Amino acid sequence: MIFDVGYLILVTALLLAVFGVIAGFWGGRQRHPSLVDSSFHAVYAVAALVLLAASILWYGLLTDKFQVNYVWNHSEKALPTFYKFSALWGGQAGSLLFWTLILSVYSVIVATMFRRKQLGQMPFVNAVLLITSGFFLTLLVFAENPFKQSGFLPPDGQGLNPLLQNYWMVIHPVMLYTGYVGLAVPFAFAMGALFSKNLGNQWVRTVRRWTLIPWVFLGAGILMGSQWAYMELGWGGYWAWDPVENASFLPWLTATAFLHSIIIQERRGILKVWNVALIACTYFLVILGTFTTRSGIIESVHSFARSSVGIYFLVFLSISIITFLWLLFDRLPLLRSENEIDSVSSRESAFLVNNWLFTGLAFSTLWGTFFPMFSEILTGRRISVNAPWFNKVNGPLFLLLLLMMGVGPLLGWRRTSAEVMRKQFTWPVLGAVLFAGIFAYFSPRLYPTIGLSVCVLVIGTIIQEFVRGVIARRAVTNENPVAALFSLTRRNGQRYGGYIVHLAIVMIGVAVIGNTFYQSTTNVNLRKDQSVSLAGYTLTFTGLESEHTSNRTEFSAHVAVFGPKGQSLGTVSPGRNIYDKTPDQPTSEVGLRMSPGDDIYVVLNGWQDDGSSATFTIFINPLTVWMWIGGIVLVLGTLICIWPNPARKEERMPAQAGALADTAA
Amino acid sequence: MTDNLSLTGDIPTVGPDENQTVAPANRRVTIWRLIIIGLIIVFVGFLVVGLERTNKSDWRASGVAPDFTFTTFDGKTIHLADLKGKGVVLNFWASWCEPCRDEAKLLEQAWQREKGNNIVFLGLDYLDQEHAAQAYLKEFGITYASGPDIQSAAARQYGITGVPETFFIGPDGTVKGYLLKQLTSEAELTGYIDAIRPQ
Amino acid sequence: MQLKISHWLFLCLLVAIFLVPAQVRLVHAQTTQQTPVPQQTPVTEDQINVIARELWCPLCSGVRLDACELKACDQMRQEIGLKLAAGDDLEAIKTYFVAQYGPQVLGEPPRAGFNWLAWILPFVVLLAGALFLVMRGRKLLFVKPGPTALPTVGPTVASNQDEPYVRRLEEELKRYD
Repeated sequence: MIFDVGYLILVTALLLAVFGVIAGFWGGRQRHPSLVDSSFHAVYAVAALVLLAASILWYGLLTDKFQVNYVWNHSEKALPTFYKFSALWGGQAGSLLFWTLILSVYSVIVATMFRRKQLGQMPFVNAVLLITSGFFLTLLVFAENPFKQSGFLPPDGQGLNPLLQNYWMVIHPVMLYTGYVGLAVPFAFAMGALFSKNLGNQWVRTVRRWTLIPWVFLGAGILMGSQWAYMELGWGGYWAWDPVENASFLPWLTATAFLHSIIIQERRGILKVWNVALIACTYFLVILGTFTTRSGIIESVHSFARSSVGIYFLVFLSISIITFLWLLFDRLPLLRSENEIDSVSSRESAFLVNNWLFTGLAFSTLWGTFFPMFSEILTGRRISVNAPWFNKVNGPLFLLLLLMMGVGPLLGWRRTSAEVMRKQFTWPVLGAVLFAGIFAYFSPRLYPTIGLSVCVLVIGTIIQEFVRGVIARRAVTNENPVAALFSLTRRNGQRYGGYIVHLAIVMIGVAVIGNTFYQSTTNVNLRKDQSVSLAGYTLTFTGLESEHTSNRTEFSAHVAVFGPKGQSLGTVSPGRNIYDKTPDQPTSEVGLRMSPGDDIYVVLNGWQDDGSSATFTIFINPLTVWMWIGGIVLVLGTLICIWPNPARKEERMPAQAGALADTAA
Repeated sequence: MTDNLSLTGDIPTVGPDENQTVAPANRRVTIWRLIIIGLIIVFVGFLVVGLERTNKSDWRASGVAPDFTFTTFDGKTIHLADLKGKGVVLNFWASWCEPCRDEAKLLEQAWQREKGNNIVFLGLDYLDQEHAAQAYLKEFGITYASGPDIQSAAARQYGITGVPETFFIGPDGTVKGYLLKQLTSEAELTGYIDAIRPQ
Repeated sequence: MQLKISHWLFLCLLVAIFLVPAQVRLVHAQTTQQTPVPQQTPVTEDQINVIARELWCPLCSGVRLDACELKACDQMRQEIGLKLAAGDDLEAIKTYFVAQYGPQVLGEPPRAGFNWLAWILPFVVLLAGALFLVMRGRKLLFVKPGPTALPTVGPTVASNQDEPYVRRLEEELKRYD
């Protein structure tokens, strides 16, 4: 009964969304106040209904209502409550509902924050967000009803996919969706600006912030997904260039390009068309990515089951692309540049090269993801495009990007003369060359030497920027260095937060290089108390134990680790979980000891029941921990970027009192 | 353009030379627009075709069993088209597949029974390893024609989603029935074979 | 002068793009040759995995053979062991598996026929983009500076070593102060 109501709620939400879209467009065009208000109210009402629908599904999951197909398919009685809760996004229909819920939350936040601001474009923004919500509600109502019932009550459910029964798998999709879905917001603002023709600088600032927020969630979500893959899949790596991973990475790439080129627009008033196109591409890639993972069009380990939603996505994607292009072409005269680039070695050009690389990367990633489909349609032969291709094609591009990260910030806005360039680059380049020499002496391998030297170059330029900033700041204010550093970062968070994000990217780059080029591995069968040596470490198998928890049996082996000098470094416990419902699908729990230098990473492959011997795959992964540290630094840096600038508030103060006070100090 | 601009907060930055666009530049812009739109149409078109393909296989539309050639483990080449006029039981299997092991005996027994009735059994070995496959054939004493499906050519034409899958092809070369899971009983198998028995 | 710097920068970038993959292939080829081929000694799991790391499970998508836990993959690894014992090298084993299962075991499109497009197109698109940027950059090179332009920062203005930098920083900070 209550589930029938749930379905009706979805239908009502869809109708309301349609109403809100009409009210938004009509009211925005006619500037009809009560229709504009209606568009806001529709946003609130749709969000409330979607939340209600999600709550009903949660209720069904938590109270084991197995007559609902979704609950039966993705839950079971013995499933821990935590996972019953997360089963909402463990399957196709539920995760579509979850998608809609997050979008609704974003829409409500945007509607509340801009209830009295930028009213010229807000009805259009509401309408565009409601179109997206409406599309997902259409899927839920017509193709994937999460409340579909079977008419009888099965005694127990099928259980949640064991791979999803992991802590990271609970929070990673939430983060990822929050980032992914949130990218609809800047698109809505871009469309709102185009519709209302408000294409001034205010639009740019709003969109920059509203891109940064989903961008950092998406970045964190991707890294958490990598962390999950690293801890669970047991192949010693974290990123496989799988189509689903690419689907999340593609909008991140174009959003990152956008975040850079929007800076030029803000400062110089150029590249307006390009920026609008980039943010629209980001949105289309989000929809395309969702399509890829939902339709089964491309094979992937992460894909949901095949279903009929594919064609809906294609129709929606086509219509939204056509509408966007029509609107863009119509508004082109309004997007004319105010300035033109006057020198190719200045910072604008560096930004252009940055955008060139990011869009190039996005293109090659998209190309690689869909190439198997093209190839099969055109030649009839099945091929695969996996890590080897991506590493060879994207690897060099990433290296160039890293290099540009070092070069770009050192170039001035407008012309940079040879003299200034020389001064800017002397120390970082010297540092990088020196490092390359020393490193190549100890490890004469070309690719990692280049990669790590570029990392050193970038770190050098970032430190140089901070040092010079502090010196310059002190020359003006006479603060002590720490205070100068603090106020510098605080006053120009956009710039220095950006450098910290760059630093995070370098850390991730270092981790990638370490893991890719210096990983060592062995596969051994160890009797109890027998040892094996790898990369200077000695590992001894000391015993095996098992424990039955609510819905699975957990086997874990204990492996004592000793360092090069024989010192004890503790114990790692690789394990396997065998689930009662799906015994043929055991999951792996990697035994991991992280350290700044390298990770000791042990996978339990098999064992004798009496615990007398066990088989392990052991990896030593140098520098990999820096990827996760980099992730944290990335979030911190972005926070500094978004943090409201103290000076910004002063702008609104009368008579520039704040500015005067500052000059006086 | 009926939009009322004066009410909006920001004044849009309309370039002063808006009307000065020259004809050649205009044509170039049009070409660029066409290229962009064309590329998007091609891409979406591919997606539509790809989606179609994932959702159904060719033979299910027409009913005609796709033709294939394979070489058995003992070196004989078999061409499906040559078997017209006979009923064909086509079984996809693999040595690593547990359910295949359960139905292997059933298939071999049926083959022994139907050998003389113009029924042919074919075993196509899906993504398997030669040594393991040979051991499997030996273990279950399989005597009907069995060989590797090189590069999964036949498997893809039949759109199989896993092993075991069994297709029953009539004397006229059309698929009369198929089983996308393991065979469970002799009666089930006989039922399917009756449908493809040459008159 | 400006023009030259810009062109050098781009030339370097482009050369780097094409050289680096060539280098990867070179390194790759070297590791291939270094793979020891044991003749009579029993083949260890680690030796098998060296080969398996270059191959991809044909049944799953995107799982490397050495990490795949399917029985089919296990049997493939055993097959590699038999081939190694028989003296086959990496290339021979790869060729064998491609013949058996098709090019999808390689994890990358074979460099032949239509599949060349997979390798070439990204770089063609990048080159086209670069060309577009260079041409536009040149066209815009001597365009009058915008109305808000400041005097060009040059060495002649810089009396103090860090002065241009300080000025730039101040110019940027001023927007907020």
